[in-house]
Amino acid sequence: MLELKDVHAQYGAIVALRGVSIAVAEGELVALIGANGAGKTTTLATVAGVLRPRSGAIRFRGADIAGLAPEAIVRRGIAMVPEDREIFPALTVEQNLRLGAFIRRDRAEYARDLDATWARFPILRERALQPAGTLSGGEQQQLAIARALMSHPRLLILDEPSLGLAPKLVDQVYGLIKKLHAGGMTILLVEQNVTQALRVADRVYLMRMGRVEAEGTPEYLRRRVDVEGAYFGKATANGGPPPAGHGGAS
Amino acid sequence: MSKPPVGFVPPWASAVALIGLLLGLAVATDLVGSVVLTRFATRLYIDVILVLGLQIFMGNTNILWFPHIGFMGIGAYASAIFSMAPLQKTLALPELYPFLAELHLPFVPALLAGALVAAAVAAAIGLPLMRLSDFPAVITGFAVLVIIHVVLTHWEAVTNGPQTLFGIDDYTGLWDAAAWACLFVAVALLFKESKVGLQLRASRDDLVSAGAIGVNVVAVRWTAFVLSAFVAGIGGGLFAHFITSFTPKAFFLTETFVVLAMLVIGGPATVTGAVVGVIAVTIAYQSLRWTENALNAAQIFERNVAGLSDVALAIGLVLVLVLRPAGLFEWHELAPPGLRRLLSWRRGAEG
Amino acid sequence: MIQALAFVVDVLSLGSLYALMALGLVLVYGILRLVNFAYGELIMIAGYTLYLLNGSPVPWLVMAACAVVAAVLASVLTERVAFRPVREKSLTAMLITSFAVSTLFQNAALLFISPRARVVPLPDLFSESLVVGGLFVPIRDLIAVAVTLIMLAAFTVLLNRTVLGIALRAAADNFRMTRMLGVPANLIISVAFAISGLLAGTVALFWLGRTASVTPGIGLEPLIVAFVATVLGGLNSLVGAVVGGYALALITVGINTFLPQVLVDYRQAFAFGLVILILLFRPEGLVWTGRHSRT
Repeated sequence: MLELKDVHAQYGAIVALRGVSIAVAEGELVALIGANGAGKTTTLATVAGVLRPRSGAIRFRGADIAGLAPEAIVRRGIAMVPEDREIFPALTVEQNLRLGAFIRRDRAEYARDLDATWARFPILRERALQPAGTLSGGEQQQLAIARALMSHPRLLILDEPSLGLAPKLVDQVYGLIKKLHAGGMTILLVEQNVTQALRVADRVYLMRMGRVEAEGTPEYLRRRVDVEGAYFGKATANGGPPPAGHGGAS
Repeated sequence: MSKPPVGFVPPWASAVALIGLLLGLAVATDLVGSVVLTRFATRLYIDVILVLGLQIFMGNTNILWFPHIGFMGIGAYASAIFSMAPLQKTLALPELYPFLAELHLPFVPALLAGALVAAAVAAAIGLPLMRLSDFPAVITGFAVLVIIHVVLTHWEAVTNGPQTLFGIDDYTGLWDAAAWACLFVAVALLFKESKVGLQLRASRDDLVSAGAIGVNVVAVRWTAFVLSAFVAGIGGGLFAHFITSFTPKAFFLTETFVVLAMLVIGGPATVTGAVVGVIAVTIAYQSLRWTENALNAAQIFERNVAGLSDVALAIGLVLVLVLRPAGLFEWHELAPPGLRRLLSWRRGAEG
Repeated sequence: MIQALAFVVDVLSLGSLYALMALGLVLVYGILRLVNFAYGELIMIAGYTLYLLNGSPVPWLVMAACAVVAAVLASVLTERVAFRPVREKSLTAMLITSFAVSTLFQNAALLFISPRARVVPLPDLFSESLVVGGLFVPIRDLIAVAVTLIMLAAFTVLLNRTVLGIALRAAADNFRMTRMLGVPANLIISVAFAISGLLAGTVALFWLGRTASVTPGIGLEPLIVAFVATVLGGLNSLVGAVVGGYALALITVGINTFLPQVLVDYRQAFAFGLVILILLFRPEGLVWTGRHSRT
């Protein structure tokens, strides 16, 4: 569904991506893992239209989307939940959701989507008229995801959904992600919390210094990443205990 | 954004080239001997000085800087008060404070004293302002310009208020202005490549990193600010003794716009940009002014034509910003012809 | 008692104009981080439109509508022609461009019309006053307050009930994220400039009412007012801009009423001194709008 081929990107003079190739098939949940600065978020930025790649191809459902503006990317069916969620704190929960549905035209459909959202996220219904800034971190994360879903995306991109959340909330969020995946949503996930990412992903890419260093199933990555034990230890700093011994069983 | 040039031209070489250019113009003007042309050239050198002062701050910090012309005004009024004969002052500024009324300095000391006043004001108010970046710096700069203008317009004892201050001696000749312009070309180039200048430009490009390597951004900016205010003060003083009568309006938005346009069109990052910007804009601007006057004299239109040159300048400025935002001279400083080739040839020979 | 009433009327009527003016400036600033130096010139353009229509057989309301439309068109055109090409370059480039556009407009007026003040037609109603308890209250002031309240109410509805309004607020808060939800950047920016023009045009009708004439330089004072009111209210807040406008009016009328004439002349200096102090020490503004300050 989504294909990146040899994408190079940079911020001014700083080269961030040195030829990244990634594929996400329909219905898959793919995770990008790697240490800080590896280029994971930059990869997402090129897909979301926030950063124009220097070279390389980005195709979504057969069409070339590299360099399109963010507004156009959403219309193609890609919704992104950025790091830091970036909900609008002064707007109410409902207004945030309304904006998520900006590209949808049908009022009746919006009403139905809203009901579906309340059903899936009961806590948001409670807070519907509250300014989004008054929600807790976990609630804001739910709102960010709910908002992204309002646009009926075919591909959902999540950047570090566990960031800043307590372990119990992280479990909650990942429970939600799993459910969405089970329901057929194609998901591309960036995570520093390797444990959670490996739990839910169908396939994983390991990135380092702007390149893809390894790819494969979670089991393969677990074995492989185990070899570089020091990195693995660093990666779990965000939550999740390091695995017992070298077995890597979770 | 284009890449910096591979070859580096030492500042003294650029100074030689630019000063040579300026002196050449002065010699040519002198030879022609026309009064109009001489006044034109003198005004050009004064503008060069003003834009150089702006370049010293804006070029090295990348902050859109508004108050510059305010300091020109301070320098103008201060030097005028210092240089005018006491008798003249009782006519022009009857309410002037006694200790100032008695003062009577020769031209150059008056110029310097006026510029020192401007620099002192900058030094006094500068420290807190230099902490700001981006938009707050722009707005506070604008605020300072307005405040200076209001003070100049209402401190009647010292400035004759909004009315014209007249009776200043016309000390500024072609070679006075040219000499100061050449001096400040050297100063601007030396400053740019000095330790302070380099630190400034490092923090221009990356504020956080600069702080991380120990650059005291506030102190470094303050230095540039005070220096640029001093240069503006000299420019103001020369202007005062050139035009011999003026009002505070001469030091407000119109002048700010022209000086800013000259620098932006020429290229704020380089001293060459400052000088060439002044020359290019002055020629264009004055040509249009001349056209205006000719049209008025020939009575082609019913009314007098005014503002054509400013409209054209504004359009030109926007075009430059769209097409070539870094100005005409983004990286390269002017070098004496052949020097660059000589330097890269020698480097090639070594490599 | 009469003095107090006069004071209140002055503050309310002046504050209404200041509030609308500040709102127009903040709307564009919030989204683009651009301080539009050409904003004051929209008032000038509205004024000259009125001047040019003077003597035509249409009723004044039609002329006024044309003047407002002229301001809106000028605002949107300026964005399209001057700001959009420069938007990608840098903020500094945009600021300089707005300064250039301001100069352009002023000198165009100088060139094509006249450096001298030109008379602006006003309805007879604007010269009349109501007598309230011994005090002469200019009807113009009352209308200004009424119009402002109506516009603020309409604006509030727009910003809270319509998708466009919500999108505008979101854009002012986090432009990038708004785009990532599919809101077209160019549309939002054009709408913001259009509203900004509408506000300036409306203010123009009453601002010009004070002197009944227009000059090329008439835009400077409203611009300065908008600046100061915006900073007072905190640069990022729409509500703050409105409150800042009334606060500034209070300060201005207060200075005019209570301070000796000598100091009154320096009031612009005081105002900008205040601006500097606020930007240095309390950039979220003096006005408490009950919201957390976000940078």
